[in-house]
Amino acid sequence: MITIENLTKYYGNNRAVNNISFTINDNEILGFLGPNGAGKSTTMNMIAGYLPMTAGKVTIFGSDVSKEPVKAKKNLGYLPEIPPVYPDMRVREYLSFCAGLKRIPITKKSKEIARVMELLKITDVKDKLIKNLSKGYKQRVGFAQALLGNPKFLILDEPTVGLDPKQVAEVRSLIKDLKKEHTVIFSSHILSEVSAVCDRVVIINKGDIKAIDTIENLEKQTGGSLTLHIRIKGSRTTAAELISKNEGVKEIAKTNAEGDDTYEFIAEIEGDGDVVKNNIMRDLLNNNIQISDIFTEKPDLESVFVKLINSGTSGGMKELFNEYRDDMVAAQAEELKKEGNE
Amino acid sequence: MFSIYKKDLQGYFFTPFAYIVTGLFLFMFTFVFNGSLGTLDQATFYFSFANTFYNVIIMFIFLIPIITMRTFADERKFGTEVLLMTSPINVVQIVLGKYLANITLFLFMLACSLFFPIYASFKGEVVMSQLICAYLGFFLWGAMYIAIGQLVSSFVENSILAAILGEIVMFVFLFIDDFTMTDFIAQYPGLQSALYSFAAQPRFAYFSQGFIRLSDIVFFLSAIIVCLVWNYISIEKRRWNRG
Repeated sequence: MITIENLTKYYGNNRAVNNISFTINDNEILGFLGPNGAGKSTTMNMIAGYLPMTAGKVTIFGSDVSKEPVKAKKNLGYLPEIPPVYPDMRVREYLSFCAGLKRIPITKKSKEIARVMELLKITDVKDKLIKNLSKGYKQRVGFAQALLGNPKFLILDEPTVGLDPKQVAEVRSLIKDLKKEHTVIFSSHILSEVSAVCDRVVIINKGDIKAIDTIENLEKQTGGSLTLHIRIKGSRTTAAELISKNEGVKEIAKTNAEGDDTYEFIAEIEGDGDVVKNNIMRDLLNNNIQISDIFTEKPDLESVFVKLINSGTSGGMKELFNEYRDDMVAAQAEELKKEGNE
Repeated sequence: MFSIYKKDLQGYFFTPFAYIVTGLFLFMFTFVFNGSLGTLDQATFYFSFANTFYNVIIMFIFLIPIITMRTFADERKFGTEVLLMTSPINVVQIVLGKYLANITLFLFMLACSLFFPIYASFKGEVVMSQLICAYLGFFLWGAMYIAIGQLVSSFVENSILAAILGEIVMFVFLFIDDFTMTDFIAQYPGLQSALYSFAAQPRFAYFSQGFIRLSDIVFFLSAIIVCLVWNYISIEKRRWNRG
């Protein structure tokens, strides 16, 4: 298990990461999601022991990264945002160097290198100079490096950037396979990727955690409500009345007039969407109102994400967020107290 | 540590780099050697090589930074520093591995320069004691300059800048004793002796005359250790300041 406790990073007076805590369970893929500049890479660099933290603690399978770095890093494979490759080396040569860095015994070395090259499908470029490789290949060479020695914990910072769609699919399925033996934290700003691969998600923005949960729960936490879109032709007032009187319709959020007696209603509904939809259709048709379009929409992760990033508070996540804020306030108060004492 | 050493050596010897630098070194050595032939003691035909080495050291200022400029600057430029820092090795091993690789290249250059004394021994008499001592002093001086160059390389991201800064620092180290002899500094005896204690040239002079003095060896070794420790600190410090 990997635990991250109260991790904070200041660059000068700029706060990049603010007191974040979470754990990554064994054989779990944790998605780390946030817009650009949210502090994703900084956090990952701190977890990997590259950047020292201003405050907090990272423990990788029981070893504190800042106190026992060598021991902690033995279990770690890290693919940074920019693949750390030497342009003047050949792929095989590079991986052999990395194997040495990771202290893989010489007897197992060539087998291990062959294994990771096979996994990432880079065997065909093994004798090429890295500087002559395309971005996608460089990315995969960097990924191969992270997998050398089969470390239990993998940190992947945007592993699919620069890959073509086919490669993206391959890398995603590879990450899914890795779950069997590894614990993975994996960052991305692409939502579909995270929802396709991860068990749980941490959403971060401006250095604060906005949510930690499974994807299903996150979707539920927007209230479990659906959005109903109806386009009708006929009397606006009658239609509005008929729609809103229906059980399950919370409110009509918006009405758009589209001319020619055509209106679009957007309503928030709860309960079984199909039943509500059928009832509304029946009512409207009975009252001679034509329906040209009707459909329900589920809030996807995208809207959850946008909502969280923009407001940071909703339902259960609000509590969560408050909890962190309270912690933060308490920590600050303690600091002030300390300063006062000095 | 060994893997970093090996990687750096491969970077030198599997590319034309090591051979071009060594070629340049020998080319310069030839000029100096030819020049010193003119000042040869005609009566005895004794080659002492002391003067030759003395003059070759000035060329160090241009050669050593070329070797050391990429040591840390390039790791930063390519983002491979992250790889080294997140591997199960510590910074001391990184610094030492790189230093030993640079020293190995330097020893290769010195080994090639043995051609001159061997050639000279066929044509005349070489004063062996002076030659050996001069080589020892030469090696120590070079090892110190490599430590300095490596240190400067860890300060900056641009390798050319690392080379130029290294040249400046090495230049100061070479001529600090001349500087202390100026009238201006001589007004302040305290300052003069303080500055003079940093001068490497008079210490090398003892070596080239065939003396091995413990204090001189200690001087060079401590300079190397100070630079390497500083090197370690500067890498650690940069991790904190990053961003």
